[in-house]
Amino acid sequence: MIDPVILQQGNDWRAQAEIFDEIFFVFLALGTLVGTIVVSYTLWNVYKYRDDGNRSDEEFDAPVVGELPTGQGGPKAKKLFLSFGLSAIVVISLVVYAYGLLLYVEQGPDTGDEGDIEIMVEGYQYGWAYEYPNGHTERGELIVPADQRVDLNITSRDVWHNFGSSDLRIKSDAIPGDHSETWFTVSSEDVEAQGGEATYRVECFELCGSGHSAMEGQITVIPEDEWQEWYNSTGNSSESASIEAPGAGLTAASGVSA
Amino acid sequence: MSGLPPTTSVKRWFVTTNHKDIGILYTITALFFLLFGGVMALLIRLQLWDPTSQILSGLAYNEAVTAHGLIMVFWFLSPFAFGFANYFVPLQIGADDLAFPRLNALSYWLYLFSGVLLAISFFQGGTLSAGWTIYAPLNVPMYTPSIGSTGAVLALAMFVTGTTASTVNFLTSIHHSRAEGMGIMDMPMFTWSMLATVWMMLFAFAALLAVGLILAADRVLGSVYFSATEGGSLLWGHLFWFFGHPEVYIVFFPALGVMLELFQTFSGRRLVGRKWVIIAICLIAVQSFLVWMHHMFLTTINLEIKTLMMATTIGISLPFDLVVFALIYTLIKGRIQFTTPFLFAFGALLLFILGGITGVFLGAIVLDYEFRGTYWVVAHFHYVMFGGATALFGGAYYWFPKITGKMYDELLGKLHFVVFFIGFNAVYFSMFLGWETPRRVFEYNPEFQIYHQFGTIGAFVLGLSFFIMFYNFAKSYVSGEPAGDNPWDYSRTAEWAISSPPPLENWPNRPSYASGKLEFVKDYVPDGGPAMKTDDNGDVATDGGDSHSAHISEYPYWDKHPSHASIWPFALSLALGVTLFGFSGFADSVTVQLGETAAQSAVTVSNALYPIAILLGIVGLLYTGVKWGLEDFYAPPSEFAERWPFNGVEKVKLGMWFFLASDVIVFGAFISAAVFVRYNAGWMSWSPLTESLPGLINTFVLITSSFTVILALVAARRKSRQGLLATLGATILLGFTFMAIKLWEWNHEIFDRGVTISANAHGDPIQASIYYVTTGLHGIHVLLGLVIAIFLFVRAYQGHYLDDERPIEYFGLYWHFVDIVWVFIFPLFYLF
Repeated sequence: MIDPVILQQGNDWRAQAEIFDEIFFVFLALGTLVGTIVVSYTLWNVYKYRDDGNRSDEEFDAPVVGELPTGQGGPKAKKLFLSFGLSAIVVISLVVYAYGLLLYVEQGPDTGDEGDIEIMVEGYQYGWAYEYPNGHTERGELIVPADQRVDLNITSRDVWHNFGSSDLRIKSDAIPGDHSETWFTVSSEDVEAQGGEATYRVECFELCGSGHSAMEGQITVIPEDEWQEWYNSTGNSSESASIEAPGAGLTAASGVSA
Repeated sequence: MSGLPPTTSVKRWFVTTNHKDIGILYTITALFFLLFGGVMALLIRLQLWDPTSQILSGLAYNEAVTAHGLIMVFWFLSPFAFGFANYFVPLQIGADDLAFPRLNALSYWLYLFSGVLLAISFFQGGTLSAGWTIYAPLNVPMYTPSIGSTGAVLALAMFVTGTTASTVNFLTSIHHSRAEGMGIMDMPMFTWSMLATVWMMLFAFAALLAVGLILAADRVLGSVYFSATEGGSLLWGHLFWFFGHPEVYIVFFPALGVMLELFQTFSGRRLVGRKWVIIAICLIAVQSFLVWMHHMFLTTINLEIKTLMMATTIGISLPFDLVVFALIYTLIKGRIQFTTPFLFAFGALLLFILGGITGVFLGAIVLDYEFRGTYWVVAHFHYVMFGGATALFGGAYYWFPKITGKMYDELLGKLHFVVFFIGFNAVYFSMFLGWETPRRVFEYNPEFQIYHQFGTIGAFVLGLSFFIMFYNFAKSYVSGEPAGDNPWDYSRTAEWAISSPPPLENWPNRPSYASGKLEFVKDYVPDGGPAMKTDDNGDVATDGGDSHSAHISEYPYWDKHPSHASIWPFALSLALGVTLFGFSGFADSVTVQLGETAAQSAVTVSNALYPIAILLGIVGLLYTGVKWGLEDFYAPPSEFAERWPFNGVEKVKLGMWFFLASDVIVFGAFISAAVFVRYNAGWMSWSPLTESLPGLINTFVLITSSFTVILALVAARRKSRQGLLATLGATILLGFTFMAIKLWEWNHEIFDRGVTISANAHGDPIQASIYYVTTGLHGIHVLLGLVIAIFLFVRAYQGHYLDDERPIEYFGLYWHFVDIVWVFIFPLFYLF
């Protein structure tokens, strides 16, 4: 069942984690560099111009009480604008660079003719429920195939949650009455590296009540053929009963809607 | 004479309206809340020690997290800064006091009693547990049912009310009372940053007040704004962050102002690029209202808006770059003295640089997606907000000698800084290392335990460091060396030109900068004016009462001595506190069973405590309000003052305009909420709940009443008592007509059409909620106006206002405003 076209494309796809790691590294490197320069420069000057009582009073224009404030002009003002200009260039170029990758993250990789899997995710106090395209529902654990783009359509049944997996670097708000989207993909290499079944921790990133801390889930990625087999077995079974969660909130009756 | 008891008397501290006394009260109260919020922080840190065991239940942990955030942001950071602002802004601009001394006292007491309400909320079945961001719909009673949650929301609303009063006061003071010769660009930097702060507060806190009132309506009256799936959650997000982002600068700017002062004082150098720093500060203040959605990048906001918000976010970081570089370059070629205040200000700069750099990370949307809801954000905003507050502790050491007349212990001060700085970085830098931990989670990934344990140790070090400061201040206050008027070599601002502590009325003679530097000039009264008056009462109090026998001997241009004492700010705040306490338990103790008509409806009271508190409180509010209005409290505007850009505007009128500007934002938020929800529900799917005729009649009634108010002013100017009574009376009658029609309309809606605040027989319940809450807010404005109008009517009957018609004029401004708001409300709820 493995489509060779998809596999080939899969090699070109960049996971969100990869993009995040790249940008994070660039920001961290430049941030550390700029921070170190600025802080060292400041510390050095503060040390250099400490009041050690040894400098003469000549040329020192000390301020006096009651003067109307004036600023310092001259060479320092020029330096001020030069530093300001430099910092502006660094910050703006960083963000423009990151913006290019944002557009990719927003759209996700092109899956060509072969569609992706769209899964409805619904947060509730305190867990996650998933609904597959064939109507099958799961709670807690999301089982998806490797080398496939998985689209998540996320909402909430009661309060504001946030569905996120730090390992996969995906995150999206789960807001009642609203649907947000994100996507991820895991390569079969990664799945093999984890022994044929890759698991990722899912946590809730928005305070949602007394059980917020323990509101966890899991994403399990298995090879596509195994997954297909499992998926086919769910479609015609009668197990796709509606999910009943404890403490269901205002929209409890609505359940997961496609 | 002022009637103000000496500082040693307990009574003084309840009645004082002096800006320096209030400043001290603010500072001490804020430090108390620092401890309160600090204890919450330590509870959080203890819980984080081990992800597998807990000392607090999940709910209690959420309460601690919520209370910690609310207390630190609202009840500590801003009030601590406003303690200094109260004390030193009037001194720095050469004013005798703030523009409205009684209002200033009211702000303080509202602040204090709001804190008391918050403390009480812990004992009302647990305080709010929805986080300081109070996201919807976790904030509605269905998910946070405790009475204490409502209590905390009402405490916040009360706090914001006090803050609004304070904002109006500072805006009026800084724009209206600057000493002769001090142009707006000549103000010291601390005053400048406070001016930018209060301008932001005027609009930002109005939005918070609006969203707090809506939430209070949801919790107390049963409206369904934030549980509505028609955008209720996002509505909270937008309104909260419209306030929330400027709030970051509102708490940071005062600290920045302290840094700007201290860097100059302890290097002996003037600020580099002063004009540009001021421009940068103003730019930030404006831009702060254009970035709020960067807190909501992971919601369903579309890419175009996200891109715009990313651009504005980066845009706002640039002026900060300039300010930081200006601070650094100011030190160069200086004579830097490593005193305790400088160490704290300098430490604040270093912390802020780190906070700023990590903030740029959050500006890149891809990174923000992953950082959202993690400890990266927590670490970042602590470096910015608490890092900034570090400078405020520098300010406390800097001004301690001025306030007390005693010098603090330098060695202990430095020790405090070292322990503080180490503890600070231990707790917050470790958060960067363990950043993948979700916020507000204690059962976290054990991988990060080492960082959290390190942070917990740091938190205790940080907490303990403050006891060094408390000990230092207590010891120095009792037995410190006398500090003298000006203990610093290179201070510049006017507070150092007078004694420590300063005399009650600040100045030996009128301060003036007309010659280019501070001078105290004697004014003589022109012919025919009141004679120079010598104060024969030799015991004019000073703040400390002991160090300086300032003798304020001449009041040549005042015909009356300014007042410094009033009990009514305290009493009014107490009454409001009791009222709000009552409302916190209202929904749980009073049940209304609707019958066929109003007469057949039944009200059951399960717990009489809360309704009684409401009644007592409202009676108290009316009583203290009237006493306030009748009190002969004299706070004259400064005669010679720089008032740009409000040269021709009288003091109280200016204050009124500022208040109305903030009220515009309050109504703006309510109307935006109505539009936002309706847009989300499908604009055309709603049609008006009410018939348009009663609304139309009411529109005419209100517009007519605007004319009668104008006629009242004309009558007062013509000194016609009968005309004044007739026109005021007509205004009151029209106001009551409006309220009667409103009452009929509501009665009709509820009993004939089945439309109540939480249910709607004809459509979405949220539509009914919006109708009742928005028109209800307007109705409350009309009702308040009527109370004032009746007060004015009685006073006019007694013969007042014929010589001074200004109260009529200012009431008219308010009344016109309420009428104009109706012109916006009418089409939205009655026509379309």
